[in-house]
Amino acid sequence: MEPVETQAAPVVRAQGVVKRYGAKVALDGLDVEIGHGVTGLLGANGAGKTTLISLMLGLRRRDEGAMSVLGHDPQTAGIDVRERIGYGPEHHNLPPEVQAQDLVRHLTELHGIPPRAAIQRASDALWQVGLGEERLRPVGTMSTGQRQRVKLASAIAHDPALVLLDEPTDGLDPVQRDDMLALIRRIGTEFGIDIVVSSHHLEEVERICDAVVILDAGRMIRSGTLSELRQGAEGLLLDVDGGHEELVARLRADGLEVELAGDTIFVSGDDPHDAVRDAVADLGLGLRRLEPRRRTLEDVYLEASA
Amino acid sequence: MTETGARIYDVGYRRYDGPRRPPRWAILTVALHAVQRVLGLRRSFRHKILPLLAILIAFLPALVSLLLAVVLDQDLTEDDGLITYGDYYFFIGGAIALFAAFVAPEALCTDRRTGMLGLYLAGPLDRGRYLLAKAGAVVAVMLLMTLAPPLFLVSAYAVEGLGPSASGLPGLVLRIVVTGVAIAALFAAVGLGIASLTTRKAIAGVAMVLVVLVPGIVAAIAIESGGAPDELSLANLLGVATELALRIFGEDPSEGAIGRVSTALVVVGVAAWTALGAAVTWLSYRRIEARQ
Repeated sequence: MEPVETQAAPVVRAQGVVKRYGAKVALDGLDVEIGHGVTGLLGANGAGKTTLISLMLGLRRRDEGAMSVLGHDPQTAGIDVRERIGYGPEHHNLPPEVQAQDLVRHLTELHGIPPRAAIQRASDALWQVGLGEERLRPVGTMSTGQRQRVKLASAIAHDPALVLLDEPTDGLDPVQRDDMLALIRRIGTEFGIDIVVSSHHLEEVERICDAVVILDAGRMIRSGTLSELRQGAEGLLLDVDGGHEELVARLRADGLEVELAGDTIFVSGDDPHDAVRDAVADLGLGLRRLEPRRRTLEDVYLEASA
Repeated sequence: MTETGARIYDVGYRRYDGPRRPPRWAILTVALHAVQRVLGLRRSFRHKILPLLAILIAFLPALVSLLLAVVLDQDLTEDDGLITYGDYYFFIGGAIALFAAFVAPEALCTDRRTGMLGLYLAGPLDRGRYLLAKAGAVVAVMLLMTLAPPLFLVSAYAVEGLGPSASGLPGLVLRIVVTGVAIAALFAAVGLGIASLTTRKAIAGVAMVLVVLVPGIVAAIAIESGGAPDELSLANLLGVATELALRIFGEDPSEGAIGRVSTALVVVGVAAWTALGAAVTWLSYRRIEARQ
């Protein structure tokens, strides 16, 4: 089958994909389209993220349904698909005594880059991920964060069309995590490589992704660009000096949906500004903060999961 | 401070628009990497010691034979000489088996233990191509033991003017190549089969030694004391390999039960061992889940 691929065509398309492990259903009729840019694959552990990545790589056979990755069916053209994909696995194990540059060079050659060019690109990729000075160190002497970077360098050095990263911030401290997220975002925007990031950290996905696919129990429960997903059901966020309980009761009496989290009050509903102003004034409370409440990915996720 | 030699290098990410090799090259890439790894190339000196020692042992009979031949001015590989080509594998058989016990686990176990298998299979390889690359690498390295020394010997004799006649040389070289390849494939297949069952190199190495020793000992006891048929001696991996060499070079069969087995059955025995090793390897990798 000749691939039909245009810039507008989805990078990944799955239709009715079912994958079972014995009696356990890992993917249950999954329908999903992943477009260009950085896409987050969200879901709790066991939601089917890693299984979906395995199917995208053609490493496992689906039981039902159809799938295309970069215009090919990974089940029948797995080698052609994988040649154009960079993959960063979840596990941190890498050959301990091999120098980072040798490992990245070898994996770059594996993807068809001639040896001389592979040496150059491996070195460049390691510089890109911030390991230029460390590139001759054996991988076994590196920290978890550095190994994650080595995996990322391996994934991008052969100039893939698509990069799949499975939990790329796993095991990183907050500073390393920030660096890694910035790096992934940069690869997806400046380098022009499409990226699918599997994660169960909502905040990470929200920070770096253009679009999100949310999986739950093997099904796609929500997908779209971040701006699409955040639309609707906005409201207000306010802090007041004392009198929280009274204010919440008053607003609820006015028919608004109100949540109290610590000292912060979330008010949902269509244009609640007047009602909030009147309630605060009537109760004589000091208003410390009043701002529009943005719908977060967590809200989307919780709604979708519910 | 003036830095007249200072330059700014752009290390920004660049797309690659140069030539790309087709996916089948990945087999060669993995095979070459495995050969380098097994021989300790691009690794510290301690990783080079064992392969160097094994290869030295394999060449030792050839070197001794050559030295004596030069001193005595006589080809010592003839039937009445010090060592024949058929005998050669008897002298180095143990070293070949031990080398296989090191090479095959080094080639296979490490990838599963370190997660490299997952990275390979996420690239333009499938299990079949991966195993083809590894088998090719192991056979190639084993040929350093099984093929290179006799070839060196015949070449050295030819250079010294002690070798076979020009008419006999092609036939001899052909026999050396067939024997070397067959024995390399035999030990590679068995070694890979054992290595495919564990991620621990040490366990695979010990298991290989046991597979070389135990069936042969059991078969010998059964034949000598239990009256079992001579064909049971084909269970002796080392014995069947050295016997094959004798038969290929047309030399007298060895003494003992395996010497009484027909040449056809010896060939079948070698083929069966090789096929068994290959089948175990393939079946093991069919069910192994690469860590993603």
